[in-house]
Amino acid sequence: MHSPSITPVATTSSVAGTPPASRRLPSVEAESRLLFGLRARLALAALKTMLAQARLRLTLVILLSALFWGSLYGLFYEGFAFLNSLHAEIISLLFNGFFSSLLLMLVFSNAILMYSGLYCSPESRLLITLPARPEAVFFHKFQESFWFSSWGFILLGSPMLVAYGVVRNAPWTYFLLLLPFMVAFVVIPATLGGMLCMATVACVPRLRMHALAIAITASTAGAIWLGWTALASARADSLSPIWFEQTMSRLAITEQKFFPSWWLASGLIESASGKTALEGESGALMESLRFLALLASNGLMLQLLAGWLAARIYRLGFSQLSAEVTARRPLRISWFDRMLTQAGTAAGRPLRILIVKDLRLFRRDIAQWSQFVIFFGLLGLYFLNIRSFTYNNSYATMIGFLNLAVVGLILSTFTTRFVFPMISLEGRRFWILNLLPVHRDQIVWSKFLFSCVGGTLPCCGLVLLSDMMLGIRWPVVAIHEICCLVLCMGLSGIAVGMGALLPDLRETSPSKISSGFGGTLALVLSSLFIMAVVLLAAVPTHLYLSELGAATEGTRRSDLVGWAGSLEGVWAGVAAVVVLGLVATLLPLFLGLRHFRHLEA
Amino acid sequence: MIEFADVTRNYGPKTAVSGFSLAIPSGELFALLGPNGAGKTTTIKMLVCLLRPSRGAVRVCGFDMVKDPRNAHLHIGYVPDDPNLYDKLTGREFLWFIAEMFGMQQQHAMQRIGEVIDNFELADFADDLTESYSLGMKQRLVFASSLLHDPDVLVLDEPMVGLDPRSVRIVKDLLRKLTHQGMTVFMSTHTLAMAEEMADRVGIMVRGQLRFLGTVEELRQQMDKQATNLEQLYLELTAPQAMATGPTLSPARPDAP
Repeated sequence: MHSPSITPVATTSSVAGTPPASRRLPSVEAESRLLFGLRARLALAALKTMLAQARLRLTLVILLSALFWGSLYGLFYEGFAFLNSLHAEIISLLFNGFFSSLLLMLVFSNAILMYSGLYCSPESRLLITLPARPEAVFFHKFQESFWFSSWGFILLGSPMLVAYGVVRNAPWTYFLLLLPFMVAFVVIPATLGGMLCMATVACVPRLRMHALAIAITASTAGAIWLGWTALASARADSLSPIWFEQTMSRLAITEQKFFPSWWLASGLIESASGKTALEGESGALMESLRFLALLASNGLMLQLLAGWLAARIYRLGFSQLSAEVTARRPLRISWFDRMLTQAGTAAGRPLRILIVKDLRLFRRDIAQWSQFVIFFGLLGLYFLNIRSFTYNNSYATMIGFLNLAVVGLILSTFTTRFVFPMISLEGRRFWILNLLPVHRDQIVWSKFLFSCVGGTLPCCGLVLLSDMMLGIRWPVVAIHEICCLVLCMGLSGIAVGMGALLPDLRETSPSKISSGFGGTLALVLSSLFIMAVVLLAAVPTHLYLSELGAATEGTRRSDLVGWAGSLEGVWAGVAAVVVLGLVATLLPLFLGLRHFRHLEA
Repeated sequence: MIEFADVTRNYGPKTAVSGFSLAIPSGELFALLGPNGAGKTTTIKMLVCLLRPSRGAVRVCGFDMVKDPRNAHLHIGYVPDDPNLYDKLTGREFLWFIAEMFGMQQQHAMQRIGEVIDNFELADFADDLTESYSLGMKQRLVFASSLLHDPDVLVLDEPMVGLDPRSVRIVKDLLRKLTHQGMTVFMSTHTLAMAEEMADRVGIMVRGQLRFLGTVEELRQQMDKQATNLEQLYLELTAPQAMATGPTLSPARPDAP
């Protein structure tokens, strides 16, 4: 047997305070370089893997991002061109409103990201056991959360700001300063979020989630109240000059000179104004550079503060969090699970037990249901606010179909993100399922029913709410609800079927499973399905409700457009939607079931 | 080398470790045993500064783990029960990272990395991404990384999990030689046969308290069971009836720090 030659232990010192030459505490610079180098190596390796194994997803991300950016740019260009004559006050208010709400959102999103990175990640556990400075660990994880939280701002904000610069004929310096301004701005709320997270964990460990939840809820409620009072008015006053003046005056609360959002807005507006330093000390470029310096210097100061705080309370918070006692789960809801299990026939009981199991996993995973609540809650808020404006009949119907598409798209992100990986996530527990007297088909059908029923209730409810707010007539409401039901079934069928057809039983991370080839393909198919359903129903309905279809029945066109705009065309569209829905539901399920029956774990 | 001075750790209303005192000199292999929930993992977490004691002090080579954790860590190598690595780093890159975090000189680091790769037979996969490693390969890599900087103290939490018999033999031989050369090894394990074979002293923890501290032979004498192996002694000592009625042998003598 190989007897390893063990290298003698180097000169160890048993005298405290004198480590041998083989090891020394690295300097601050060396430690920072090392962690930055680690970050760069990991990023490069991840990029190589993505290029090798996820080209479809990468291509889609780039193309769709470019499409999204271009669409936003066009939208903002038209908007700024329209507002150009009203420039000074309106733009300043809009920018301040946008950046201040972004500031608040970034603080809390970074707080949550830092919580996950600093206290819940395996990497932080490793770094804590190495001779790394706590502040070095903080900044290492801060870089991660900074990029995660800021990419959304850059993707959403850059088309807006570029469009503004083009409309204003801004000098080239404006476009050069855009990225430094955005980065300097984001550093401030990102650092504040990190500090808030550390302070909450260290100082109120038992109540940390409650404190954060209360703070986020209060801030969100405040923001919603502000938005609601800014926009709420009698229907007759909507979009009138008086309504406009009142709305703008309500937004003025965001124009506070000590807000970083005001510094950003003012700096960008100055930079775009076109005056140069050659026109004197009050040159706009110098003024904008002062605002940039204000942002950057405050960001750097906050970074120093954050490092000081991390050195004192990060390890303490980590220790306290590790000692947290898990709260006992309330048993109140078990009656629902029991009722669900026992309702129905004995033959269907294994199926119901599997559904109850998935339901328990869903509601105990805060990452899943919180996103569900947030997204659908925001949609509900938007739908409730629709009645602020007046619409004519066909315009309202068009918006109704667009809202239907939005509901479908949100649902598809959930089915791809959470439902598609469900079969794969059974991988490590497959040995349990294999030993049970349960047919593999029942496992797949249980996921389908769970997704379909779970999605139908909120989605159909939201579509109904949208139609009520828009004042749409009941026949069109019925068409919307049929389409919504078809979307729920089809999206569930695609997600579950593709998940069974292309499972990854070794992977344990749902996000990695959904971001692979199968998940990306499921997302693309889901998007195409939604577009097809909405168009098949919307086009004939819209044609029918417009003068072409409804009022001129006697002089209807005899071509295809005319037929499509007739009542027969509408029913044909609905029938096509139902057929498409059945195909989208059953075909992937059939293929998935066939593959899953013979799958070896 | 390792010193627990009346250490207590609470989790809310529950006391996970109570009045734990222990001193382990250099060159000793100490095995901490106990049933699930006894407080072994909590003790190890306090030793590597993942947890702070609610009371008392933990010192390694004279450095207090709470007051001066960085200098203490320079003297510690740690192998956790659940090895987590950077998926997108190769084994060799991970070893380099650890070496640099311990401030090792480049030449010395290169030499030591070559040595541990040989010792733990990592050469076949050292340049593959760790995401492709099996549990045993990860465990060997983490073991190798814990010895790179020639620590004075090696802390092992269930070190044999996932290792094949050959790797187990490599680790056993390594531990014998390292302790012979003066390293202190603190090991938590459920593998009683290994503890009996390797440990200079054992400590048996039950419900947060040290019920026994000493050699296996001393345990046999105290329990008056001369021909019994450690497994049998342990099972008798930690039987529910024994735990309910209190210690049947003299309590563990607290080591003077």
